[in-house]
Parts: sequence; C-alpha cells; structure tokens
Amino acid sequence: MFERADELMIAYQQGDMDALDQLYLLLKGPIYSFVYRYSRDEQLSIDIVQDTFIKLHRSKHLYEKEKGKISSYLYQIAYRLMVDKLNRRKKWRSFLPFLTSVDQKEVDLADRMSVREAIAALSDVHRPIVLLFYYHDLTHEEIANVLNIPKGTVKSRLHYAIKKLKEELGGEENVSRSL
Amino acid sequence: MSQDPFKNERFLQSKLDEYHVNVPDIPLYLRKKRWERFINYLASPAKNPMEPMVSTINGIMLVKAGPVVCGTVLSVLPVLIFV
Repeated sequence: MFERADELMIAYQQGDMDALDQLYLLLKGPIYSFVYRYSRDEQLSIDIVQDTFIKLHRSKHLYEKEKGKISSYLYQIAYRLMVDKLNRRKKWRSFLPFLTSVDQKEVDLADRMSVREAIAALSDVHRPIVLLFYYHDLTHEEIANVLNIPKGTVKSRLHYAIKKLKEELGGEENVSRSL
Repeated sequence: MSQDPFKNERFLQSKLDEYHVNVPDIPLYLRKKRWERFINYLASPAKNPMEPMVSTINGIMLVKAGPVVCGTVLSVLPVLIFV
C-alpha cells in the first residue's frame, strides 16, 4: 500500500491531480485513526486530516522520496498540526474552562473502553509512539523522524509505554485468571 | 519486525486489536473552510458549566432561586433609590 502511495506522490509532484485524490483515499483513514486515537476528538481529527492535505498541497515540492515514505511525512505533518492545535486549546481552556468539550465515550463496549482509557492515560510523549508503532507499523527510525526525537528515545519510551499499558490493562492477572 | 517488543505480549496485542476506529466520510478540501469549521465547533457537544452545581440540593436551589432573587433585587432597587 505504501509503495503505491509513494508512486502516487511522485505523480502528484509532477502535476497529476488525480494522483492526489487517490493518495487522499489511501491515507486519510490511517491519518484519521492516528489523530483520533491520540485525541479522541472526532471533529479535531477531521480538521487535522484536511489540514494535513492542505499543507501537503501547498508545499508538495518539499517532499523528497529519499528522506522517507510519504505516509511518514504525512504523519509528521498531522502530528505537528495536532500538537499545535491541542496546545492552543489548552491555553483557551485555562481562560474559559466551560469551553471543554464532552469526552465521547461508547459505554456499550466495556473492553474497548478500557483499552481506550489505557491509551488515553499514557502521557503525551508515550502515546504517539505506541500508536505509530502498533497501529501504523512504523519503524523506530520512522517514528524518530515523525516526532523529531532520537531513535534510542523511541525505543525506551516504547518499552515504558508497554509496561504502563500492561499495568493499566492487568495483562498477567487476566491471563492467570483465565487459565 | 525483529525488534518488535509486542511479539511476546499476546494479551496486550489482543486488547489493542479491540480498538477499532470508524473513519467518517471526509471530503478533500485544498483550502480551509473556516466558516464551516466555526459552525461545526459551535455544534459540537460541550460540557454544561452548571453541572457541578446541579449535583447537590443546595446547588439546584441556588440555580433556581438565584435568578428570582436577582430579578427581585433589580426591580426593587430603583424604587428604593428614587422613591
């Protein structure tokens, strides 16, 4: 899928607008899922997906295939836009606390709730690493590029996040109980 | 992947796999539609600022009686000042 995305990006850089449509169809889902799992805000996730492609359209000439896959490049744009937006919101909420939006929870799926809660309970520096590694199959190196941190930091944070998730979800406990 | 720390975490994997995201239909725009976003923002669910107050009986009384007391005071005040 990602090789196809790289080919489409090259075609788009050469002026093929249909390639952009196909690239959007291919990558809007993964980007939305990443932002949604991080923020749990549907409207924010939709806005970030759109802003990511607007930014790509404005600066398509800046992408270089040699530096990495287009999917990683788009995750990087989306992550930066999302962090900026969330920081701005945090500032506004400190002045106007009633602007807090309702946390949309699905109460009918208890198990899913717990994994959602466990991921949400991870800190802002650990959460994107788990999401990009587990759900989006990015390598340590690609995650390091997306988040602009050293590869070693990615590894140590990933191990810490896994330990935290196991604590939150009670992995060993449940396994021994089921046995 | 050779460096996969999830490899031996079967329980964790099964839990993480339960977290599915439904992707809505998102149209491709190449220019920001600020007005549309503002409307969406206004339409999005928000927390009720009175919620902490209505959870106690005193709070409910305050929310109900507060406007009545304020209205009474404001209507009586001109009478007291000018008469």
